[in-house]
Amino acid sequence: MGSEEKIKSTRRFDVCPVTETSAGIPLKDVYGPQDLEGIDYKDDVADPGEYPFTRGIWSNMYRGKLWTRRVFTGLGSTADTNERYKYLLGKGASGLYCFGDTITHQGIDPDHPLAEGYAGVSGVSIVCLQDMYHLFDGISLEDVSVSFNNPSMAATVVYAAFVAYAEEMGYDLSKISGSILNEPIHLVYSMFETNAKPLELAAKLATDVIEYSIKNTPRWHPIAPNAYDMHEKGANAIQEMAFTIAIMEEYIQRMIKRGYNIDAFAPRVSVFGCACDIDFFEEICKFRAARKVWAKLMKEKYGAKKAASCRLYLSVHTSGNSLTVQQPVNNVARVTLESLACVLGGLQSFDPAGYDEGYYILTEHSALTSLNIHNILAYESRVASVADPLAGSYFIESLTEKMEQEMFKIINKIDDMGGAIKATESGWIGSEMDHELIKEQKEIEEKKRIIVGMNEFTVSKEEEVPIEVGRDRPLEEQMATSKKREDEIRKLRETRDNKAVKNALEDLRGQAAKGEGHNLIPAMMESLRAKATLGEILGVIREANDTSYDPYEVIQYSL
Amino acid sequence: MYRGKLWTRRVFTGLGTGMDTNERYRRLIEHGETGLYWFGDVPSFHGIDPDHPMAAGNAGVSGVSYCCLKDMYALFDGISLEDVSVSNNCPSMAAAPTYAIFAAYAEEQGYDLKKISGSVLNEPIHGVSSLYPTNCEPLDLTVKVATDVIEHSIKTTPRFHPLAPNAYDLAEFGANPVQEMAMTIAITREYIDRMLARGYDIDEFVSRTNIFGCSTDIHLFEEVAKYRAARKVWSKLIRERYGAKKPGSYRLYLSSHTLGSSLTKEQPVNNIVRVAVETLGCVLGGLQSVDPSGYGEGYFVLTEEEGLTNLNLQNILAYETGVAATADPLAGSYYVESLTSRMEEEMWKIIDKIEEMGGAIKATESGWIRQELEKGIIKKQKDIEEKKRIMVGLNDFVIPPEQEVPIKVGRDRPVEEQVATSKKREEEIKVFKEKRNKSKAKNGLEDLWDDAKKGEVCCLIPSMINALRADATFGEILGVIRTANGYSYDPYKMIDYPF
Amino acid sequence: MENSSRKVKIVVAMPGLDCHDRGIIYLSHVLREAGMEVVYLGRFNTPENIVNTAIEEDADVIALSYLNDHLYMIFFPRVVELLKERGASDICVMAGGRIIEEDRPKLKELGITGFFGQSTPTPVMVDHIVKRVKRERWKVN
Repeated sequence: MGSEEKIKSTRRFDVCPVTETSAGIPLKDVYGPQDLEGIDYKDDVADPGEYPFTRGIWSNMYRGKLWTRRVFTGLGSTADTNERYKYLLGKGASGLYCFGDTITHQGIDPDHPLAEGYAGVSGVSIVCLQDMYHLFDGISLEDVSVSFNNPSMAATVVYAAFVAYAEEMGYDLSKISGSILNEPIHLVYSMFETNAKPLELAAKLATDVIEYSIKNTPRWHPIAPNAYDMHEKGANAIQEMAFTIAIMEEYIQRMIKRGYNIDAFAPRVSVFGCACDIDFFEEICKFRAARKVWAKLMKEKYGAKKAASCRLYLSVHTSGNSLTVQQPVNNVARVTLESLACVLGGLQSFDPAGYDEGYYILTEHSALTSLNIHNILAYESRVASVADPLAGSYFIESLTEKMEQEMFKIINKIDDMGGAIKATESGWIGSEMDHELIKEQKEIEEKKRIIVGMNEFTVSKEEEVPIEVGRDRPLEEQMATSKKREDEIRKLRETRDNKAVKNALEDLRGQAAKGEGHNLIPAMMESLRAKATLGEILGVIREANDTSYDPYEVIQYSL
Repeated sequence: MYRGKLWTRRVFTGLGTGMDTNERYRRLIEHGETGLYWFGDVPSFHGIDPDHPMAAGNAGVSGVSYCCLKDMYALFDGISLEDVSVSNNCPSMAAAPTYAIFAAYAEEQGYDLKKISGSVLNEPIHGVSSLYPTNCEPLDLTVKVATDVIEHSIKTTPRFHPLAPNAYDLAEFGANPVQEMAMTIAITREYIDRMLARGYDIDEFVSRTNIFGCSTDIHLFEEVAKYRAARKVWSKLIRERYGAKKPGSYRLYLSSHTLGSSLTKEQPVNNIVRVAVETLGCVLGGLQSVDPSGYGEGYFVLTEEEGLTNLNLQNILAYETGVAATADPLAGSYYVESLTSRMEEEMWKIIDKIEEMGGAIKATESGWIRQELEKGIIKKQKDIEEKKRIMVGLNDFVIPPEQEVPIKVGRDRPVEEQVATSKKREEEIKVFKEKRNKSKAKNGLEDLWDDAKKGEVCCLIPSMINALRADATFGEILGVIRTANGYSYDPYKMIDYPF
Repeated sequence: MENSSRKVKIVVAMPGLDCHDRGIIYLSHVLREAGMEVVYLGRFNTPENIVNTAIEEDADVIALSYLNDHLYMIFFPRVVELLKERGASDICVMAGGRIIEEDRPKLKELGITGFFGQSTPTPVMVDHIVKRVKRERWKVN
């Protein structure tokens, strides 16, 4: 009876092979009190709510206010997205997330030749003021914060449209809150570089949003640099934060040049959109270290006096790259752990990725699961009851300290290069990221880095735990969605008062020629009210700055 | 810690016949399982054979059916017991023949008994106050037989843990984390005292009776602190009160099944989230062995898919997150250290109180432990009802079933198939009993009867092993021991001794 | 006889507006390491400029990557069509990224091969490229 051949046991799985963090910081077997040497509680750690905010930006953290529980949203038409918003608000969401479609990111209109097939496909299409009416129908903007992710120059126009809408609806602008992930410098090496060029112009427009917002929408975060995209393109945890902070210095310096005191705007330019990957403790320490670095920089380098100027708000989308297409159920576990790291890292807001992120934009079911991750962590696990619960841990404090040092090294290096724009244009930041990306991929291929279900513990497709995942729309449907949107915009162009549009755009053009110091948001709002579109507004501004109307040089200004 | 050896990654397993379970074992080993979970069916818990009238329809249903030595051959076919540890959960007197059968099989297979490892969750005292009061009766005899397992094991299978008190069931039955550990420690002391009374030195055996099968709830930090505090209490107790000298004696091994009652039947996908947090709690708590609950635990025995998901969760923690790279990563944390100290203090209070009462058996027989647990159950239910304790999808954030994320949960197999499996087992055992060398079996059982008459001092494991080799079954073995001690042959008084 | 040290020349590009280029960054690195000459076009290309570049550079292979959505079913066939129009059908076209199973037969019919993804070992990709180029373009064994 029985086979002679005994199954070999899994002895090779007996040992934990991880001996360094994913950013390459060596990990000791065990940490002890000696690892806290040189760390001063008051200067380096301090109580939550106290400078340098290592332990979090509020004294009682989540007992005062839980993190904002967002879920990635943005699909199809504005009406589809609106429906999803209402569903999520009904299920306990406390903030909305708006992800633009590909062409909104690119700053081109749905009737642009290159836009064919893309409008409303993997995000929501925002082109004109009217779109805001559909997007937020029946939702009170004074009660819920909205986070826009439109990483390009287009973000400026989206912000202008949002404010114009809020104004027309009669909201108290001092009460609307949210943020916009609009920072363009990082785009050069991460997502949509085309619409971030010329970089000087893109940075100027982003600065306009800051300037306008601190005066008119004081609860709004007018610039949320997108650290996430840099991470997903290779930047390790240390680089992710250091690059982002270096980039933010560009805006700080611009605002100072425009004559503002650091304390007048710093509290509003201090929210980062980060990634949270699966390296649990490294991510927690990343957040703790970044808060500390930011606070020290604000106080020591820029002479900020207000505590608010030194507080860094952190928000996260958990890393899509850490997930696998194989065995989507495993992603529920991954996203849970990443979300927990966000909570233990003292974040203000995060949205857990959908378990089917590798497939398509979240389905209703994966969105619900993401929301439940929030709720289970917030209400069942009791991890939010104590501020910065890991503080004092030999390991955590020592890793935080180490990461802080490494971040400062990079920040200082970029400073020596003449700032983030220079370090971007010279290609240095990009090559650093490529280097990390290649290293990571190589480690995966050589199984030095194990990804369950991908390079180890693999199963065949048939053996996977069956769970519903987002399905690609069939090509025909994708084309039809896009076509419908294209037709809508064509119709808008036909029915609007083109003379009024032209007048507004020409006025914008005139103002856009006035250079760095002249804020274009009011003129953009004027153009939007006259029913000008995203592509037109950006085109005119580009032309006024000696750049082609169309970033792809395919179409011309036609009014 | 885990750089030397990761926690043993187990998955709750046990269904149908030995062959069915064996097939599942092989799949799980392929996917990184490093320790097998051997969960018996209800008849095996009760120590009755599949052909017992009370077993009808139950054999192989919510666990694997086994009752004779031959069953082991199917169950462990193709699996090297020197390479993988086996943990059995059997909260009754049947745990002793379970151990005996395992040892007998290993010996017949030619394994070096010094190399086989695993544990048996056999402790009966806790069962009286929690899930299995009837299984654990008569308590004095059950405790005696459990002590026999310890005595035999420390000499014969020195890497095996012959007593793994089941803290888990106490928690499921209302114990809070402090009570869970304190009561379990108090219970384990009963066995320590018995072994001392049998003339053994503390250092000879205590390093084998120091593994607890615990529960891990979703309250992350409380659970982590619980484990840290329990280790501390145990080592102080063993060193200071029992005068142990070997470091191995004051090391407490901890294993855990994540808490089933922390999960909801509603929206099973949410349970993956809960179990992920709980399993992380186990790792941060420095456990030696973990088996996470299946997301469909509220439904039935784990499906193969749930088993895989559990392994993957553990593999993600072990290989992707880096949380195992550093020993006790939360050490030094103001919160965790202070909570650990606080919980330690509270544990001592209970341990001392039970000592004052005359020990855990007395505290059980007086009903005190049960009362304490019941208070816990009532409080927890009340908190849930009043929404002081939120359970997502159960008492808040509720959605209608049709909106749930669809995911497959048990039933593993349709009812007709279960009945058929049970029937098949019943027939199999009937044929087995008919065909075996009856006089050999009878002799084996009668030798056991003689030994069982000798009382506390005579360890019954060797004669159990002999009876098993002579093809006696569990029901018969336990029946003979019962009659020798003045109890009925059959706990249900439905069948008689066949010889 | 072909010189065995002859280098494969490969254009690596993503058509359309998909921005997910982790894959081609790593792929290009791997191909260079394997001794190929990589003409890296990166993201945001039209089928026209991909084909133009391949012809101008006298490339052996066009490697196309796409992940975000379904539009590759428009871009990939268009690349093949343009090559045909330009009399350059001997340039091998390969694809990777996230090409779903149902679309593969149609692409195969057009002569597109590969369909590499996140978990394809890089030696498999390199081997596939080299073998196909030798067989179909260099006509050596």
